Amino acid sequence: MDDIKRTAIVIAALAVLLLISSSFVGSNIMNRAIIIGVGVDKLEDGVRLTAEIVSPGNGSEQVGTYSKIVSANGRSVGQAIQKIAELTGKEASLGRCLLIILGQDFYENTDFADTIDYFINSDSFKESSAICCCEGSAEELMNKGPAVAQSVSLALTTLLQDQAKKVAIVTNTLLDYTLSQKNMLKTGFLNKVKFLPSQNTDSNKPDQEQGFFTINDLTVFRDNNFDCDLTPDESIGLALFNDKVLGDTFSSDASGKLLTVNVNSKKIDKKIKDGEVTITIKLFVKLARTDSADVEGVFVSQDKKEIPKETINDITEQARQLSQAVIDRQISQNFDLIKIHDLYRQKQGSNKELENKPMEEFNVNLKVEVIEK
Amino acid sequence: MKENLLEKLQKVFYGDEDLRVRQVQCGISLNVVCLDTMCDDKKVSAFVFQPLVYISDAKSVKDVQNKLSAGTVAKNPPNFYSMVEDLTNGYTLIFDESGGCVSVDTRTTVGRAVAEPPTSMVLRGPREGFVEDVKVNITLLRKRLKTANFKTINLAVGKYTNTAVSLCYLDTIADKSIVDNIAQQIENISVDGVLDSSYLARYLDSNKTVLFRRVGVTEKPDVAVAKMLEGRVAIIVDGSPMVLTLPYLFVEDMQSPGDYYENSTMTAFSRILRFISVLASVLLPALYVCLQVYNYQIIPLQFLITVMNASEAIPFSPLFEMMLVLVIFDILREANLRMPSAVGISLSLVGAIVLGDAAVKAGLLGAPAVMIGALSGIGLFTLPDNTLVLSLMRLIITFIGGTMGLLGVTLSIIAILLYLASLQNNKTPFLAPFAPNIPQDRQDAIGQKPVPQMTERPKSIPNKNNKRRG
Amino acid sequence: MDKNRIGINQLALLYLLSIAGGKFLTLPSILAKDVGHDSWLVLLFSFLWDAICLVFLLFAVRLNQEKQLDISAILDRTVTKVVSKIVMAIFFAIFIIRANILLSSCYKMFAVTFDVSTNWIVYVIPIVVISFFAVKLGFNSIARTTQLLFGIIFICVFVLVFSPISQVEFTSLLPVGEAGWGKILATSFTRSFWFSDYLFIYFVFDSIKVNKNRVFAPVIVAFVIGAVLTVLMNAMFVALYGDLAQDFDLAMTKIGVYFVSNSSNGRWDWLTLSIWLMSVIIKIIVFIYCAYKSLEKIFGFNKDKFNWYAGVFIVALLMLPMFISADVVLSTVVMWGLVPFVLVQYLLPIALPFLTKLALRKEVANG
Repeated sequence: MDDIKRTAIVIAALAVLLLISSSFVGSNIMNRAIIIGVGVDKLEDGVRLTAEIVSPGNGSEQVGTYSKIVSANGRSVGQAIQKIAELTGKEASLGRCLLIILGQDFYENTDFADTIDYFINSDSFKESSAICCCEGSAEELMNKGPAVAQSVSLALTTLLQDQAKKVAIVTNTLLDYTLSQKNMLKTGFLNKVKFLPSQNTDSNKPDQEQGFFTINDLTVFRDNNFDCDLTPDESIGLALFNDKVLGDTFSSDASGKLLTVNVNSKKIDKKIKDGEVTITIKLFVKLARTDSADVEGVFVSQDKKEIPKETINDITEQARQLSQAVIDRQISQNFDLIKIHDLYRQKQGSNKELENKPMEEFNVNLKVEVIEK
Repeated sequence: MKENLLEKLQKVFYGDEDLRVRQVQCGISLNVVCLDTMCDDKKVSAFVFQPLVYISDAKSVKDVQNKLSAGTVAKNPPNFYSMVEDLTNGYTLIFDESGGCVSVDTRTTVGRAVAEPPTSMVLRGPREGFVEDVKVNITLLRKRLKTANFKTINLAVGKYTNTAVSLCYLDTIADKSIVDNIAQQIENISVDGVLDSSYLARYLDSNKTVLFRRVGVTEKPDVAVAKMLEGRVAIIVDGSPMVLTLPYLFVEDMQSPGDYYENSTMTAFSRILRFISVLASVLLPALYVCLQVYNYQIIPLQFLITVMNASEAIPFSPLFEMMLVLVIFDILREANLRMPSAVGISLSLVGAIVLGDAAVKAGLLGAPAVMIGALSGIGLFTLPDNTLVLSLMRLIITFIGGTMGLLGVTLSIIAILLYLASLQNNKTPFLAPFAPNIPQDRQDAIGQKPVPQMTERPKSIPNKNNKRRG
Repeated sequence: MDKNRIGINQLALLYLLSIAGGKFLTLPSILAKDVGHDSWLVLLFSFLWDAICLVFLLFAVRLNQEKQLDISAILDRTVTKVVSKIVMAIFFAIFIIRANILLSSCYKMFAVTFDVSTNWIVYVIPIVVISFFAVKLGFNSIARTTQLLFGIIFICVFVLVFSPISQVEFTSLLPVGEAGWGKILATSFTRSFWFSDYLFIYFVFDSIKVNKNRVFAPVIVAFVIGAVLTVLMNAMFVALYGDLAQDFDLAMTKIGVYFVSNSSNGRWDWLTLSIWLMSVIIKIIVFIYCAYKSLEKIFGFNKDKFNWYAGVFIVALLMLPMFISADVVLSTVVMWGLVPFVLVQYLLPIALPFLTKLALRKEVANG
């Protein structure tokens, strides 16, 4: 009897094991088209999606980034991704997607709220992915891989997520951008990527285009529709309002000697007092040298002062003009990138009146201080 | 009645040409009986025949016993079974005509000399190891415990082997109820034969665990003594150089004899390494497979590309590939154990180079899979006593991880821990001092306090005297 | 030794894990839907009620130290056997619904976030098998397993919760109480089902081992840490995700995004997430254990043998999410049962010291 019982248990256990193992379905990495970046362009009746897909190299001993670019059309992004799966014969996986690029025609002439919703509401999609728009078509930009000698998605993500913060360029993640389109005045910005061609230095491939990406231009969007482009000065000015973005550089010859200073840390203070918003920007600067002494934060040992007073004054004025330019543009174009509405919301709670209050009705008082530290 | 004993003995040993019977005259006629192979000829000659030659006026076997002063033991076996036991143990029996019997210790000391045990070599510390002889083994313990508190209980187990088993403990430290319980358990064993202490270990596990070893094993007398000083009982089995210690904790597997002869910081470091390598060995193959099949997002991009490059030409699924690597590793290990040492070295080289490299080059296995398999295999050897169990667990978890993903791995870990946490033997929870948490005992668990600071005995091992000195 | 015996420190750790175990999944988004960025205040109030009840419950534990009566014995002797069985039936309902909701959240996590396509039955069966295995081994082994895993789980929770802290603008939570204090209090009542993690203590009431009368300190400390972590995590979630918070069902997977700074690194947060999920699974095991024990106390099974009928019944009930979604259960069944649930969640612990005293007095009178 015991033997029968034991055999029955073993058979039952094996059956359960088989049932379980056949009922969990995963997808081997080789059966997946792992997308690391997507570009979206406009078509007459839908979108053209360009995806950068990780593609194994030839041979097991190679290490490096190997990707290929695949484009497909569809009525929506979801459908285009399905097409990519059809083209590659693999399951399209966006779990490792690092970057979304919106093509110029697409963002200028479309309401792309659905596209953003598609990405942000996918659970496995990282909301901290980088997002940007580009000059010309996204497909063209995605195909610039050989020109920049690396994966476009990786190169741009590094630029947008790591490098930008050190060279005074403000950037947005997908989450930041999505939230900006839902909050006060529903306005936010994206970096506009441009490709700058450079001279070919590769004698082996004389016809190969070479160049770099730039991300310092900003474009403003309202409710996921194109609003305007910011001027270079306004883009630099906007960076002054963000204390996590450093590396702002100013030059001045006010002291009779051409000096350059770097911003090593910032302190931004926004206050509402007597119906007036006071924004104080404190820039802690150091004389620029080729040494990499870019210490951040406030806990820094005091060093000898090297910057003449005249230079400090001149730089203060430069910074004030740059940041004032942003405020003026905000009023003229009625967008809110420095979150004045949010400041009021924190004080009095959200309501319809505040949500729709135009920028010109806010009295903004700007103070800029430059301190050598 | 008594006259028949010799005949009875001869009848019992009928057909065994090892049995020697010789008649001697020394006043009375005596029959000297011994098993040739079990006795030392010199001892028989010196302790039995030489004295007998000088005796000419013996009246009974009692007289003979009193005059046989050269041997260490000359006793009267109380019954026939004791006679058989003595004879088979190498004693020489002397019968007189009236049926009286004396048994003289003439056991042969054939056996290995005390040497460094191959399973637990140490850089520093004593190099003596137990041997197969129970007497020598007790000597090795007693040499280190020169106290009257060292007690032994001698038992015999096995219907045919009649193997001598000695329970050694310190009566001022060990909990008597545990000693009695173990003695009782050993007495209750009904078995044909005990050829090694591992036979007993299976009977001493109250939970009848199929996977994990529940009884400590050591080949080193210094380790056995250290454990006895913590309140444990050492069980020496004749014919086995492996001495059992009870109660046993899982954490003892993490401890190496060399740990106590090193700096405590280094000991803690190496124990943490052992712990991490075992954990990685068991979980790494499973994680590698389930990350490939389900959660590729976790793998850093560059490594993902490397894995994809390596796996492109592989005809198997990641799970099958990894299982193959693990099984091949286990086969190599098993073969290596069975091979003579000289062949073993070349075999492992052949295994590593030919099999691994050729399999990768032939596109049968991916290089990362081979690397992870090998890493995991080597890591297991940091716990040499449990390599087999862990290797089996690794295979099972890899299979479950490969089929169910991270959920499977998570559930496997919880199930194993639930099981281990429920184990208890001789009032000692198996996973102490971590579950239940006994802070006092963590002084020598993963980390180790310097010896002068370890002033208390482990609480998880029941003992009479908690202070290490006093 | 009693296989259900649990030390007070083990109880504290298990309690802490179960506070952190279930509330980092769907609850933050549900609360965000109810009261927006003030959801952390709902948690704060709910924990306040929990704290009061916990103190009473622990007081009862202390009273019960000598005689070690079990909960149904106390209720049998004080409020009649019928009422006692009704209370046990309510407990059974609570634990089964909670287990189902937690299982649904976990399922979502594995199926959606971790991309594992599977069906409910084969997903639930392994978890239930392990839970029944735990029932067979006794509560002691659950407590010890918790003790073993506590360190690593807690490190992971800390890393996951504190990794985004530098990115969080806590000013987004201003103005405090924007949703209205009345609404916040009402929500803390209507969502009370998610709280009172101390309920499992009823089922080990007769097996708690206390050292030197130290009942309160370890459990209260565990409660405070658990409550602070949960409130902080919730506050960070709504601060980070603002208006989107209500759309994200699985808060912990979203919080974890900030664990990895560089995009080309893998999502290591998922590994920490998997380790944290162990606490959710332990919580599910505890729920199933308590559900089984409720049945045992209602029908009076043999305590030493696993009752397969009860097992099959529990498995059948755990299959319900295949037919009714967790959202529907929360908005209907839980709302209907709110009053009886509140009765055992909040009223019973407050009454328990008195009931225990009464039961002990009767015990002494009966000799």
